[in-house]
Amino acid sequence: MLADLKGASVEVWQHRELLEQLTKRDIKLRYKQAAMGFAWAIFMPCLIVLSGLIIRFAMAQISGQALHPKDIANIAIKGVGWSFFVGALGFATASLIGNSNLVTKIYFPREVLPLASVAAQGFDTSIGLLTLVVILPFLGVRLHASFVWIPLLLFLLVTFTTGVSMFLSCANLFFRDVKYIVQVVLMFGIFFTPIFFEPAMLGPRGAMLATINPLTGILEGLRLAVVDGRDLLHPIMGMVKGVERQIWNPWELVYSAVCAVSILLGSTLMFRRLQPLFAEYV
Amino acid sequence: MSDVAIGMDAVWKKFHRGERHDSLRDLIPAAARRLMRGAQPATELGQDDFWALRDVSFEVQRGDALGIIGHNGAGKSTLLKILTRLLRPTLGTYATNGRIGALIEVTAGFHPDLTGRENIFLNGSIIGMKKADIARRFDAIVDFSGIGEFIDTPVKRYSSGMNARLGFSVAAHLEPEILIVDEVLSVGDYTFQGKCIRWMQNLLGSGTTVIFVSHNMDSVLSLCNTALLLDQGRVTAQGDLKKVIGEYYNSGGRYRPELLPEPKAQTVEFSGTTGGDLVVGPGERVTFTHTVSALEDVELGPGFFVHRGEKTVVDTTYARMRGHPLRMRAGDTVKIEWSLAFNLPAGVYEVGYHIGNIAGGYHEYQSRACIVTVGDDPRVKGDSFVALHLDAHRIENPSLHVTASGAGVLP
Repeated sequence: MLADLKGASVEVWQHRELLEQLTKRDIKLRYKQAAMGFAWAIFMPCLIVLSGLIIRFAMAQISGQALHPKDIANIAIKGVGWSFFVGALGFATASLIGNSNLVTKIYFPREVLPLASVAAQGFDTSIGLLTLVVILPFLGVRLHASFVWIPLLLFLLVTFTTGVSMFLSCANLFFRDVKYIVQVVLMFGIFFTPIFFEPAMLGPRGAMLATINPLTGILEGLRLAVVDGRDLLHPIMGMVKGVERQIWNPWELVYSAVCAVSILLGSTLMFRRLQPLFAEYV
Repeated sequence: MSDVAIGMDAVWKKFHRGERHDSLRDLIPAAARRLMRGAQPATELGQDDFWALRDVSFEVQRGDALGIIGHNGAGKSTLLKILTRLLRPTLGTYATNGRIGALIEVTAGFHPDLTGRENIFLNGSIIGMKKADIARRFDAIVDFSGIGEFIDTPVKRYSSGMNARLGFSVAAHLEPEILIVDEVLSVGDYTFQGKCIRWMQNLLGSGTTVIFVSHNMDSVLSLCNTALLLDQGRVTAQGDLKKVIGEYYNSGGRYRPELLPEPKAQTVEFSGTTGGDLVVGPGERVTFTHTVSALEDVELGPGFFVHRGEKTVVDTTYARMRGHPLRMRAGDTVKIEWSLAFNLPAGVYEVGYHIGNIAGGYHEYQSRACIVTVGDDPRVKGDSFVALHLDAHRIENPSLHVTASGAGVLP
């Protein structure tokens, strides 16, 4: 098992230039002959923020509370994270099938195909993140010491996304209906992940259930650290419907980290074991 | 021992005919069935399974060039896919010793929307080159391909020949220790093919091990020094190049015209000697005798032909050479002597005969009566003008003796 993991990482490292070339290819192809150009990179996050605003506006109408600029910031930062997850999964799921001419003709560690999809999406997302850096100060976000959490949270997001991507690309190679399942799940996944809302709004039991999703800890952590400037090492209390409740538990982050790492390791292992069959089944 | 570049030991590969379960919906019942019955052992064939390779063993010494030949579906590509790590053998083991470069579908890594330049870097890294190496050899690659000023044009605008030439050029600069080539020489025009052959000969000269799969026996002969014949996944001949190629010709189907429903003449014997295969030196004269007996009164034009692969070297008839058909009475037996100087380039030639009538029908047709292998001769280079000194005569009637002699060009 360890040998497989070591083999995978050594081989991918040896082929890092191939990974770079494939990532470049994926990025170039997205922007070549494309009407929207780089606007495409922030198109999806913008749509997500817009939909979030509509929902929050509706909620504000009912509860009678005014919509705060920080709510926009909350949705924006989580929306960018979510769009990375969705975009990477979308491209990665099809990556092995889409390159079947390579998979059946030339040997190289196949891990680089889904990895390149994630990396190419990473490029788009960094444009989104840069846009956020410009916009967030206008939404009342100030520099905080808690920004030191950002690298760790982004790392966990990438780790989790990569793990799921590798699993799905491999699964889609063997079973073509995986692609459709992923489409449907991602379409509704935004309601099962606290993007438009905070878990605490679901009540104590709902908040518990929401944290089962490993993305909850990562995205909520990102929001609390960036927008609210809170230290994630300690439990955080917040006012929900006029009652003070715990809105953050440091263990959420630990749970997300354990999930992310184990999914990445598990899918790498599965990918490695099934790789010799790829050319036969694709 | 350390001089073995590639070794395969009793390799078997099982394939499944037809569809596998492609969706999750099909998987669950299949998995349940497997649980109930237990996994099927690797050595057994399940329903719709077949062996693409059966007990294949061979060794290639460093610096050798092995030609793998066989008819379509013989398992050549499967064998190559195992050597290039694309497939894993069901049973058996193999070992390769050295950096492998494969010229199989050299344009597989190309993306149509990217330019030639971008594709050189992309394809180069896909086949395992370092970016710095590609950059260093970039000019040489472009030069070899002859793409020239079109290098910054998206490859979707290339002709298929340009596409293939560029792909080959990238792969050609990989500098492998073991080169695996699968029918890529059919791409490009004549000059480019010549360039490729020279390039491979250079590689061989510098000690690269080559595995070459082709249906073109001339290329196999000019490149390889050993060969292996696959038939339905089995190695049916191995070792001496000319023998293996002869075996390949023997095993395959050839042109067979429709025969006349009621043959009026038949061959009693062809080339009375052994009827077996011959190995001759260049220019050596060989006489084949064809004994024909008539069943009825008939006019015949017995024919004699020599083929090299798909090319015809000689195809003539008694009637054509003598200016009149062979008239025979029922019960007559006539011996015809075909005498031919094999003043031909080294290679494997098939000799065949037929008994035709005047209208172009055949009483009998034998496309491969024997195989003649012509040895090397430094005086003969490539496909040159040669004097075949072909003649035919009927030896029962010496007064008719005419020698037809001619010089021809190999097609």
